[in-house]
Amino acid sequence: MFIYTREAHPGENVPHHGRFDRKLACAGLLAEEAGISRDILVDDLDGTVHRAYGLMPNMTWVIGRGGRVAYKANWTSAANVEAFLGRFLAGQAENPPGTMPVMYETQQAEFRYADRKRFMQHLMRNGPRAVAEFEKAQQLWAQRAAT
Amino acid sequence: MGEADHHSKAAYNYPRFDEHVATGGDMADEDAFRASPWAGQRAPDFTLPRLGGGTGVRLSDLWRSKPLVMEFGSFT
Repeated sequence: MFIYTREAHPGENVPHHGRFDRKLACAGLLAEEAGISRDILVDDLDGTVHRAYGLMPNMTWVIGRGGRVAYKANWTSAANVEAFLGRFLAGQAENPPGTMPVMYETQQAEFRYADRKRFMQHLMRNGPRAVAEFEKAQQLWAQRAAT
Repeated sequence: MGEADHHSKAAYNYPRFDEHVATGGDMADEDAFRASPWAGQRAPDFTLPRLGGGTGVRLSDLWRSKPLVMEFGSFT
């Protein structure tokens, strides 16, 4: 399931959302262009759900049966999610004879390898302004890191 | 909109990403993630419209009988 949020990098073609009907239209366009076949839910203009789950632009959460958080990642790595789901479902399914499952929690730093060319194409899809503003943001991050 | 105002509807739907970063909005977003529910805690429940119409979808209905994978995103 996919939850459509605010536009992370608004531009001339895909601007920030000022009205809910425009946000719905953008979600429809994204589903079409990106070929998202999962169900898409659209958050409200205030970002109520996005705020409750932590405001990062491309998070993945797994909620266990019954409603407790099983996994949260502030960026999405499909491989990482799949690996986790495999372990999580296996842990729920059965345990080796003579053992008992004991749930524990981890927090780990992980790496993901973003396709820079593809990302820049997505920025350009939103508009040249989105590219320029991302480049400006990179300068700001460099300044921040230097201080 | 002041520099510390990351909570209004206007600040949420920022029109310029560089200004969002310049005012510390990206760091506020990271803080919001760190403050969000931990593994083992109850997930916040909401009802959202499904693209394509129909009645609203309640998240707790989706995770009632099996785990739910939720990805958040936009065009970029």
